Amino acid sequence: MTEQNQEYDLQPQEPQGRSGDELDAAGRSLSEALRISFVILKVIMIVLVLVFLASGFRTVGSDERALVLRLGKIRGVLEPGPHWVFPYPIEEIVRIPVAKRLSLPIDSFWYFLRPDEMLPQGPKTRIRVEPTLDPTRDGYCITRSEKQSETGFGASGSDYNIVHGKWQLIYQIDDATRFFKNVYVEDVKPGQDYFNVITKSITPLLQAVFEDAVVTAMVNYTIDEAISNRARIPEHVKKLLQEKLDTIESGIRVVSVLTNNTWPRQVDQAFQASVAATQASQQAVSEARTYAEKTLSEAAGPVAEELFAVLKGKTVSRQDEEFLWDSLAGEGREKIAQARAYKTGVVESARANAEYLKKILPEYNKRPKLVMQRIYLDAIESVLNNAYEKFVIQPVENSKGAEIRVLVNRDPTIKRQSEEQ
Amino acid sequence: MKSIAITVFIVLLIGVVGLYLISFQVRETESALVMTFNKPTREITEPGWYFKWPAPIQRVNKFDSRGQVVEGDLVETTTKGAVPIIVNTYVVWTISEPLQFYNSNERGSIEEARKRLRSQINDTQNRVIGLHEFAEFVNSDPSKIKMAQIESEMFADLRRAVRDAGYGIEIKTLGIKQLKISKDVSEDVFKRMRSERNRRTVAIIEDGNSVANRIRSEADAKKTELLAAAEARAKAIRGEGDAEAAKYYEMLQENPELAMFLRNTEALKETLKNKTTLVIPADVPPFDLLKGMPDIRVLEPNELKK
Repeated sequence: MTEQNQEYDLQPQEPQGRSGDELDAAGRSLSEALRISFVILKVIMIVLVLVFLASGFRTVGSDERALVLRLGKIRGVLEPGPHWVFPYPIEEIVRIPVAKRLSLPIDSFWYFLRPDEMLPQGPKTRIRVEPTLDPTRDGYCITRSEKQSETGFGASGSDYNIVHGKWQLIYQIDDATRFFKNVYVEDVKPGQDYFNVITKSITPLLQAVFEDAVVTAMVNYTIDEAISNRARIPEHVKKLLQEKLDTIESGIRVVSVLTNNTWPRQVDQAFQASVAATQASQQAVSEARTYAEKTLSEAAGPVAEELFAVLKGKTVSRQDEEFLWDSLAGEGREKIAQARAYKTGVVESARANAEYLKKILPEYNKRPKLVMQRIYLDAIESVLNNAYEKFVIQPVENSKGAEIRVLVNRDPTIKRQSEEQ
Repeated sequence: MKSIAITVFIVLLIGVVGLYLISFQVRETESALVMTFNKPTREITEPGWYFKWPAPIQRVNKFDSRGQVVEGDLVETTTKGAVPIIVNTYVVWTISEPLQFYNSNERGSIEEARKRLRSQINDTQNRVIGLHEFAEFVNSDPSKIKMAQIESEMFADLRRAVRDAGYGIEIKTLGIKQLKISKDVSEDVFKRMRSERNRRTVAIIEDGNSVANRIRSEADAKKTELLAAAEARAKAIRGEGDAEAAKYYEMLQENPELAMFLRNTEALKETLKNKTTLVIPADVPPFDLLKGMPDIRVLEPNELKK
């Protein structure tokens, strides 16, 4: 821009110097040409000034903020929308992506995979696992041991376990000013996307701080806590990480931390067995629960537990207790139902007898013998009618010691009935 | 008029070009050294607009003032109890004093500074870790873990070392980014993990079984108690029935003999109701009829009166 201006400056100056020595006509045409070129020059100058001023118009995208630097100092932060700033070199703007959530996977706590291992493995290919971990190649975390083992062989309390983990960090630039001032970002070269440059530049820093947080957090957990991937661990890492990022005033906010931990391949068998045992024992417990439910339900139905609580001294209103007994089902209900039937039976028969007696008493008082005889014969008749087999025997006079033998077929159902009871 | 415009324009131009030659900006992310004949003469750490003599008298050397990361080497060191441990430490550092930085790092070479810093980190690492037991890194009792304390000791140590060396560098933070053990030790760890896990497997199975058994036996006990309670209630109901029936027995008191007779015949009928085999002598009624016509005596009228 500056060079252009200089050219325009020099051209009109040259003819001006010689104007006096020429003829009038020539001078006039010359001055005419000069005038025109001067007008053109003015137009160009105005256009240039306008272009210069227009270059101050900038638009800030909805997912970014722009810092305005006036002579190198931060003057302010521009919100999304169109803005006008003094053109370079007085002011310049630096765009910072603030609304975007960025993700950074961390694989440095995972075991080393040879290129051939990274290929999809067929079911039959067996991977030969080294019996050791190479600290320069394999990544892992150290976790603490269970407390109880302190009493055992590991008396020093410094027993530890090894666990592999894949981690992912999701973060966001929160404070554009702090980020710009304190976090190293490479210069954006022409043709590069400033966003890619920023994410690439801050990766080593984030990776280091993140790994620090992971290492520091993980030693506080046991391997079982780690492999069950509880939310507590990522939360802990997130807290440590945020603290570190705040210490260096990075302006970066941790959105979330994700993790997936597993035991080393070298001890896979033992851990698989343990998982299987856990499942088996859960199965056993759930079977026992089913049995318990079934047993109680058979004994007393759905109110079993509640009723049991009442039996064990839980105080409920009289009405509620009766309601529970009424809702009783299963074997208990049967017992009570039988008792009720007995009660009805015994009362009814007593009443019937009493009424019968009352009815026949007048007749009996008149002719006792006849009435009794009739009742007696009625009974005998009824008995004989119901008898399955009948033998009528003629007793022989003076036959002391004589005996008769009758072969009786026992009814097999009788025996069975008595057994069932 | 024309000449005034041109003059103004030229003055402006010369002004702009001149300003380029004799002034410079220091951005918020930078610090600068003004070099007079290639010797640093002025240190600028505040951003803004500054003047200088035009080149080649004075030139400006700028430094990035933002935080940068450098890592130490992944090396094995030993703890206080002579337990080998592999630690990797990183620091975030900035150039805080450009003049010192320029003088002590081969004319402000970032590469040189990183190299020196790395060796300082390694020194600090060895020194501080040698003061701590391995049990302070990892412990089955989380309250005895002193990772954070070790980190802050290393931080203080390195800060002091860097300050004493006069690098013009400030350490912003320090952290342990890898904590590992040697190859041979990892095999022992696996051995222990395996036996520990096997022990746990046994415990898990035992636990599961004992819980399951407890649940079963509790259920059985509950059942027994519930049924006993139901039985007691049933007994009470039966008792009620008996008591109620007893009221009717009082009515039988009017003629106990007849009542007893009725009761007996009733019992006889009831007990011999089902599938009975009867052996009966032929001389009881009504089977005596089988032996012959009974001797029927017609009642005389006088007897009836009686």
